[in-house]
Amino acid sequence: MNPYWGATLTSFFPLFFHRMLDLLTGKLAWTDLASDEIQVLVFALISIGAALIGTLLILKRMAMLANALSHTILVGIVIAYLLVGGVGGLSLNLGVVLIASVLCALLTTLLTQVIHRVLKLQEDASIGLVFTTLFALGIVLVTLLTRNAHIGLEVVMGNADALHVNDLKIALWVAGGNLLFVLLLYKEWKLTCFDSGFAKSLGFSPSAFTYLLMLLTSATAITAFRAVGVLLFLTFLVGLPLTGRLLTQSLGKMLLWASGIGLFVSLFTVALSRHLLTVYQMPLSTAGLASCLIGVCFLLAVLARGVLSLTFTKKPG
Amino acid sequence: MLEFFTDPVLRAPTLGTMLMCFGAGLIGCLAFLQKRSLVGEALSHAAYPGVVLSILVSSLLFPFSEKGAALSILIGALLTSSLGLIVIHQMEKRLKISSDAALCFVLSLFFGVGVLFASRLQIIQPLWFQQIQLFLFGQAATMVDGHIILYGALALFVVAAILFLFRYLEILYFDRGFAKALGMRVGPIDLLTYFLLVVAVIVGMRSVGVVLMSAMLIAPPAAARQWTNRFGPFLALSSFFGLLSGFLGNLLSIYVPRWVGEPHLSLATGPMIVLVASSLCVASLLFSTQRGYCTRMARIAAFRLETASENLLKALYKKREGKKSWWLLKWLEWKGLVENSALTDLGVQEAEKLIRLHRLWEVYLVHMGQGVERVHASAEEMEHILTPEIEQELQALLDYPTVDPHEQPIPGGAR
Repeated sequence: MNPYWGATLTSFFPLFFHRMLDLLTGKLAWTDLASDEIQVLVFALISIGAALIGTLLILKRMAMLANALSHTILVGIVIAYLLVGGVGGLSLNLGVVLIASVLCALLTTLLTQVIHRVLKLQEDASIGLVFTTLFALGIVLVTLLTRNAHIGLEVVMGNADALHVNDLKIALWVAGGNLLFVLLLYKEWKLTCFDSGFAKSLGFSPSAFTYLLMLLTSATAITAFRAVGVLLFLTFLVGLPLTGRLLTQSLGKMLLWASGIGLFVSLFTVALSRHLLTVYQMPLSTAGLASCLIGVCFLLAVLARGVLSLTFTKKPG
Repeated sequence: MLEFFTDPVLRAPTLGTMLMCFGAGLIGCLAFLQKRSLVGEALSHAAYPGVVLSILVSSLLFPFSEKGAALSILIGALLTSSLGLIVIHQMEKRLKISSDAALCFVLSLFFGVGVLFASRLQIIQPLWFQQIQLFLFGQAATMVDGHIILYGALALFVVAAILFLFRYLEILYFDRGFAKALGMRVGPIDLLTYFLLVVAVIVGMRSVGVVLMSAMLIAPPAAARQWTNRFGPFLALSSFFGLLSGFLGNLLSIYVPRWVGEPHLSLATGPMIVLVASSLCVASLLFSTQRGYCTRMARIAAFRLETASENLLKALYKKREGKKSWWLLKWLEWKGLVENSALTDLGVQEAEKLIRLHRLWEVYLVHMGQGVERVHASAEEMEHILTPEIEQELQALLDYPTVDPHEQPIPGGAR
């Protein structure tokens, strides 16, 4: 059934690009996409979305808040399901994604603010308290509602093999939304990231941008959690921009590097996991593999930077 | 309730969980005071690949040894967790990456490595895979007496280390600069606290799980901090809160499935313990006698009532016209300061005292060089705050004045 059955690293890429060309020219229907292709496309969309949003998060030093969000989406999803009805296997539709992302972005930010400002707990502890509690609540609710203790594991580990064309559609929407918001407001983002005081004096509200960023982050996290799990999503969100940051000093190039590395990792991960399965009969977690590859890219970037700075910087004196 | 401590099956999970959370609550205090509570989050996730890898290795070397596996899990977790700490440190120092991004990256990257090897383990050692999955959200129910000894010893080690270092830690967290000036070697102590943090994390993993372990380092100290300002009681209270949440969380993870009519559903212990701990924390934030939100609000409300009723008292004394709220009048009547809309003797005394304080403060401000026309507003606030002791000092300083800067008499100011 799956055309990639028995493919190795060398035969994967020609086959993949050939079929993608067929898809674009209309010879191949969306519904006939193989599981490997859905994985590549979903991973690619997630990494582009995460790279764009993550870059802004890193520059605004909000990485830990993103960590908090990636935990709280679980409770957002559960509540959205309770509102919409039916929990089942935690499959997604656009309505659930929207409700859940608005809900958990607001819930996380507001609760953290209230505990920090009104109840006067120091900031790091407030963030930690809010997301661990909401995540614990989410796990208990999911376990009790689905009467299944296993689903909690899938939430943190991800299950790329269970991806569906439906997930691809949602990932497309969300990645498109991220791209739109980042490109349309590019100048404004640049301003709020590098000089928020100046941005404020020009009349942009920094807190509005913060909320928008939180909203986009939670939407991206929700599309990603079925594929890679809530924790490994953070490797995409933080790892890709950090790697980009090592290679360039400009915001535009950083966005491009991060998305480019994300695309490469998505494609290579699925190909590699297919290769390992074909040649060594070794089925590995695709999400885990992607995470490790991002780590490798980061390490290479560190080395590259070291080599560059050794070669091209003038020695003092 | 008592059967949780006596029943041979329930005893190990109960005591084990309590010991683990005790240690976490104790060490969490140190991270809390350094405002680095979220380091625990990174360290606990970084321990996961250690758990998986050590099982992979030990299942190949000693396939049938249960005890060897339990020990190797601890060693593996210790190694990768420490490695995570080193990587975070290097990223911050060498690459100038901000601390939050470094923490976030390390926790997800290490966890990713763990997930990758876990998927390998799932195929070659399915039984062990089931075992280590319990480390994600914690499962106390499968603990036996052997575990108690192991985890109890580690908890004891943490307590002993803290007691040994108590004096140093107290000075260090109170005033870092002072500690350095005293010639204390701050570096090694920091290193040791981080090591203890790692130990507490890997000890707690078994019952709370790597995903939620950081909560046990945050919630008990945050709760304890609300009740005391002293270092010793802070540590003691925090570890007590840890102990309590360990016990109640373990209890609930058994009872909740029964309450919802699914007695065979195995609810992970970790989320339950965390929910108990955070409830304790939120309750403390709201209701603690020291700095709880409700206490603070009550104090503010009491002060407002005091100010308003004192202002009314002054208005009655000066026979000023105007609307007077009936419930404030009732309040003054209840206090015996007013009868039939007129001041009693006690009321007159009180009102004179307020006016005396007001005018005394005006004299003082003018004495300090303020313009006469500007002193009224400040005195309007200070009259409610000045204590008898301050009044005495002001009287002595200003040599028992009889008139204020506006040429008004100061009532009852005689020595």
